[in-house]
Amino acid sequence: MTSTTAVELFVPEMLRQYCGKARTLDVSGQTVQAVLDEIERDYPALYVNICDETGAVRRHINIFVNDDHMRDLHGLNTAVAAGDAVTILPAVSGG
Amino acid sequence: MPDRVILTIGTRKGLFVAESAKARGKFTLRGPFATGVAVYASLIDTRGTPRIYASSCNPFFGMKVLRSNDLGKSFKETKSAPAFPKDDGRALANIWSLEPGAAKNEIWCGVEPASLFRSRDGGDSWEMIGGISNHEHSRKWQPGAGGLCLHTILRDGNRMHLGISTGGHYMSEDGGETFKASNTGIGAGFSPDPYPEFGQCVHKIVGHKDAPGRLYIQNHGGWGEWDGPGGRRPDIGVLRSDDYGKTWRSIAKGLPSDFGFPMVVHPHNPDTVYVMPLKPQTRTCPDGAPAVWRSENGGGSWKRLAKGMPKKESFFTIQRDAMDIDELKSPALYFGTTTGQLWIGHDGGEEWECLFDALPPIHNVKVAVV
Repeated sequence: MTSTTAVELFVPEMLRQYCGKARTLDVSGQTVQAVLDEIERDYPALYVNICDETGAVRRHINIFVNDDHMRDLHGLNTAVAAGDAVTILPAVSGG
Repeated sequence: MPDRVILTIGTRKGLFVAESAKARGKFTLRGPFATGVAVYASLIDTRGTPRIYASSCNPFFGMKVLRSNDLGKSFKETKSAPAFPKDDGRALANIWSLEPGAAKNEIWCGVEPASLFRSRDGGDSWEMIGGISNHEHSRKWQPGAGGLCLHTILRDGNRMHLGISTGGHYMSEDGGETFKASNTGIGAGFSPDPYPEFGQCVHKIVGHKDAPGRLYIQNHGGWGEWDGPGGRRPDIGVLRSDDYGKTWRSIAKGLPSDFGFPMVVHPHNPDTVYVMPLKPQTRTCPDGAPAVWRSENGGGSWKRLAKGMPKKESFFTIQRDAMDIDELKSPALYFGTTTGQLWIGHDGGEEWECLFDALPPIHNVKVAVV
């Protein structure tokens, strides 16, 4: 039996133009991948800023579940639960 | 009556637009647009109401195409950018070329990894062109220093010429549906076979509407001293074709180097062609003395044009799309450097003046009279 969870997705300021200027989005899903799938479906213009055509998270985008980077958990398979915060954050890089 | 000269200047930190009256006495600058993001391609589309397009190559959030309907006073993202089909396995890394198509609102786009896309609605939606993007050679092409890019799209009716680095010259004779490699006479320095079927590092292809069978290529030269397998291959860098790109021959004799990136043809004379020779080891002007070189006889001989440019200690690099020429009666050339200088060459390059000397590194310069 599956159930949906309510997760708060934080959108950085420079990407809010792609989701009606929302600072946060309420999304459902039991993993980070499921959250991204929902973003692809409901906010395709936002999604392409986060993931490339192959579905990979862009190289300079970091995704945190609460305070932990998903790479230190289980990557896209990281579980999320009701009340968790998923944060999209561009890396500090460039010059 | 066209009365303004518009320049688009794609830089590492965004797009600038410069504007002048036809006399080209003073240019005003606006921008940057796509602030902080590299712009490798721009297009001033003068069909109908002029539009400006630019690529915004964002390393964080991916590729965008920008469009301006007010001659570069403001830009908006188009509804989508080129993207590979989901099951293709490739992801767009850069947008290198934007060119107008035959039909109203048709735009062609060359990208990295080397592939071709077409929009029929002014950049709002895109389709991948399988004839070149999935060509049987495509998985064998190798990236050059700038990446594996399809950087040149040259149309002539149903003929289309593509420049791919490093893939070589590919030609379509059916409007861009199918393509074949057409590199007879185009050398490669980085393979034991000096003249492979494909895989050349073509830097730029140019032509002229009044001489459609005539084409010029700035190829990756600088292999005159090579002493490995296949032997020396001097003068493979600057070439000409007189049979619609089927065969090519060298026209590099007389140049200080056959290495370079940009190439431009005079708007009113297909015999007059310009290159910017660079040293192959450094990609900078020979002896630190920048100069554009002009041939007025289709590459038979060359003349150095440097009046007004620095005579020493100026190691300019000019990238493949960073030189253009306007279409006024006495046309001016324009080039941008990776050190952020934008130069104008009045009277077909006879006298040079620096218009802007502290822009970000320049990738792309386009000009139109509107």
